[in-house]
Amino acid sequence: MIRLVPNHAALIERSKQVSFTFDGTPVTGHAGESLAAALLRAGHLKLRDAPNDAAPRGAFCCMGLCQECAVVINGQVVEACRTDVSAELAVGRV
Amino acid sequence: MSETTTYDIAIIGGGIMGCATALRVAEGGMSAIVLDQGDLGQGASGVNAGTLSLQIKRVKLMPYALKGHHLWEQMGEAVGFAKTGGYTLAFNAREAQMLQERQTLKAQAGAPISFVSNVQLSAAEPNLTQKVEAASFCPEDGYANSSLTGQYYRGRLRDAHIPYREGCKVTAIERTTGFALTTPDGTIHAKRILLAAGAWLKPLAALLDVDLPVNARVNTVSVTERMAPLMGSVIGHATGLLTMKQKANGTVLIGGGWQGLGTPQNGRGTVDAQTVRPNLALAQYAVPALAQARVTRSWTGFEANVPDFYPLAGALPGVADADVLGCVRGGYTIGPYIAQLMGDYILGREPELPLFNPGRDFEKDIT
Amino acid sequence: MPDHYDIAVVGAGPAGGNATLAAAQSGARVILIDEQPKAGGQVWRSKSASILSSPATPEGVAGDTLRASLADGSITHLPNTRVWDIRRQDDVWSLQVLQDETATQITARALILATGAREYVQPVRGWTTPGVIGLAGATALFKQSLTLPGNKTVVSGTGPLVFYVASEIRRLGGTVAAVVTPNTRADWARAMPAMIGQPKLMARGAIWITDLMLAKVPILWGHAISEVSGADRVTGVQTHRLRDNTLGPSYSADSLCLGHGLIPNIEAAQMLGVAIRHDPTLGGWVADADPDGATTVKDLYLCGDGCGIRGAAAAGLQGILAGTRAANDIAGKPTTASTRKWMRAARFGKAMTALSIPKPKLEALTTNDTILCRCESMTCSDISAEIDRGATSTTSVKSGQRAGMGPCGGKYCQTAIAALIAQQTGKPLADVPPPAPRPPLRPVPLGQVAGDFDYDDLPIPKPAPL
Repeated sequence: MIRLVPNHAALIERSKQVSFTFDGTPVTGHAGESLAAALLRAGHLKLRDAPNDAAPRGAFCCMGLCQECAVVINGQVVEACRTDVSAELAVGRV
Repeated sequence: MSETTTYDIAIIGGGIMGCATALRVAEGGMSAIVLDQGDLGQGASGVNAGTLSLQIKRVKLMPYALKGHHLWEQMGEAVGFAKTGGYTLAFNAREAQMLQERQTLKAQAGAPISFVSNVQLSAAEPNLTQKVEAASFCPEDGYANSSLTGQYYRGRLRDAHIPYREGCKVTAIERTTGFALTTPDGTIHAKRILLAAGAWLKPLAALLDVDLPVNARVNTVSVTERMAPLMGSVIGHATGLLTMKQKANGTVLIGGGWQGLGTPQNGRGTVDAQTVRPNLALAQYAVPALAQARVTRSWTGFEANVPDFYPLAGALPGVADADVLGCVRGGYTIGPYIAQLMGDYILGREPELPLFNPGRDFEKDIT
Repeated sequence: MPDHYDIAVVGAGPAGGNATLAAAQSGARVILIDEQPKAGGQVWRSKSASILSSPATPEGVAGDTLRASLADGSITHLPNTRVWDIRRQDDVWSLQVLQDETATQITARALILATGAREYVQPVRGWTTPGVIGLAGATALFKQSLTLPGNKTVVSGTGPLVFYVASEIRRLGGTVAAVVTPNTRADWARAMPAMIGQPKLMARGAIWITDLMLAKVPILWGHAISEVSGADRVTGVQTHRLRDNTLGPSYSADSLCLGHGLIPNIEAAQMLGVAIRHDPTLGGWVADADPDGATTVKDLYLCGDGCGIRGAAAAGLQGILAGTRAANDIAGKPTTASTRKWMRAARFGKAMTALSIPKPKLEALTTNDTILCRCESMTCSDISAEIDRGATSTTSVKSGQRAGMGPCGGKYCQTAIAALIAQQTGKPLADVPPPAPRPPLRPVPLGQVAGDFDYDDLPIPKPAPL
């Protein structure tokens, strides 16, 4: 198959993988990458329940504005899309 | 486009004062119209912290506040009313003494206020700091959702078939046999008028060459994102520098009269970060878990007052058939009730409790 | 650390970055403040530290060039810094910021706002389902994390972004289930005259589309997504043919990238008193600024997409104009810079914006049960009822129903709510402005703002009248 847009997946070199937890479940991500991206890749798309209707929500704008990717770290609500993955990071649900 | 109707009364100002008076006079058979320069209920009525607390009411206004609380309870869910009980906190000896003196007088004036021990306080509000020196409690205290004011009164005016105009600023008032009000929507004619424009009363009265000594404080309120339950009562401070409440949806409202910047003539006022900071710091001092609450919005609202901090409620000095209502200390709580008194007065009936002569000498102590 | 900076620049994208460089070159003492760890804004967003190496891209190269220029010299750059309030205080601008997690105040004689844009997404049933991300959001994800939104992605929206995102998914090794765009081939043909001035971009676009065709990815012109299915995550989409209002094909997919144009982030400018006006050709509500960034507010300048969507090239050029203008104003020098290059670039940007503007038929896909305010889960019918009860401004709708009072501050709902008010009341869109923005400009942890507090420092107010 002719590709005018090459597949660069194999040419991407990422930092070492580290282990962290989301809602108590172990997750693997790359050190220093966006927490939202790591959770997405690991299949954790639903990050929280919406108020009022308890509908599942997850990352949406990916630029720190919509607040949909809110998670809890050390008791503080943070935007997952503006937080970096590090080893042993304990991420909770809002 | 000129209106040919002549209303019995035109009410300038569509907050609680104006709208509640309109409802009362309409019940009594008068034809009324309510005019507001913006949306209904977007002044103090719509942006204050929503506190309904007898503990912060003036002693002489306590009878009015008690009646006001009762009316808010009747308005109920439509205004997001909640009777949670309220605590006022003192954190040092000076504040404790203030609390003791003032709350005793307010209790004597009819408010069910008592003093509680630290043990009782901790049991009721476990997330409060342990550093409380003294505390008072009133089971009648609570809050309503001030941002629902406009929607609530809009519905009530519609149900009562009382016309209202929003975005309709009165720019001139001419005396005819009654009054002719110049607005962007045309001229409104009325036999009498009520000035109920809150923080904008001074320029409004000036249209009739009346100088009302109305000042406007610029009170700041902040709100957090939804939090897990942190407090169940409304929390106050002996000096008034802090009010806190957690709404049913989990957001925490923080107030205390910290001053922002601006005047009613120059728009909506702005938050001053230099005063928001200590306001929030005090909130965190009282409830340490608030440190991690994210503040999503701060705003200011104008609170009008006259030099003696009692209401203007009665005839506009020097102008026949014109009245004024506003500048009530605790106007959110007392508004619905004093508006009824004002409505009765306008209808020619004897109000249940005395009104407050706007033509009085503001230097003298009110009797 | 100097007492006041000459110029504070908020936003380190093409506009803000270039404004900073131009101002510094003109001799001003400049501080550049940005939320991200590195300069670049959205369009030149830097790769996160987790990407050790990856093939170069045109945006990456442009961003690296800007970052290198900013690193070299006397410019103060505050990354990871969130501005939460700004006001004029005694002849300087006073900015309240959280630098990492510490509260600081920055003061400067002049302020350049380069706050960029966010995207508009036309709400449809299921758009809040996890796995749906914005089109611009997707580009942020790709640029920063080189991560795919899923294994099989539908890409949908207006303007050139839809093809860019689809091609990036393929470049990163992903699978595009379909490209669904409300634009027709005729829309793109109309944009051709403006595009001829940018042959490189035209060539890129042609490659993207041809590549998709060769890969047999369905491209649905004149179609939109009418519904997203899936409970905890996306499982598929339903498309809609706009021309005759009929059902289009449906696709199974585990992710959807969806977007309909960009909206200028005017909140800070509006809060500081810059007049706003409605101009659909520039992305909706824009803040008034001259080509060189000057506004009616003294010592306040705007540049880039934050005052009107004109694209990255125009943003960079306007940044240079604004930085130069601000520095010259401080030095008391007249400004003579030509705006010709900026106007040419803006023409292209505006043509792309014209393609990106949501079409009327798109609005019809927002059904009564569609959520409009994501933060508060308020549906179209909730808000419609409020408008029926007499709430005819965005402020009164916000007060009544909380729509727009949530953590996002109305960024993702106000445009749709205003459109609904306009539709229901018959008011023109230009008469339904967004509510006045209030600080904090972003949610900020109370403890960080409050800082260290000594109870004894509390002022003792006059006792309240008893």
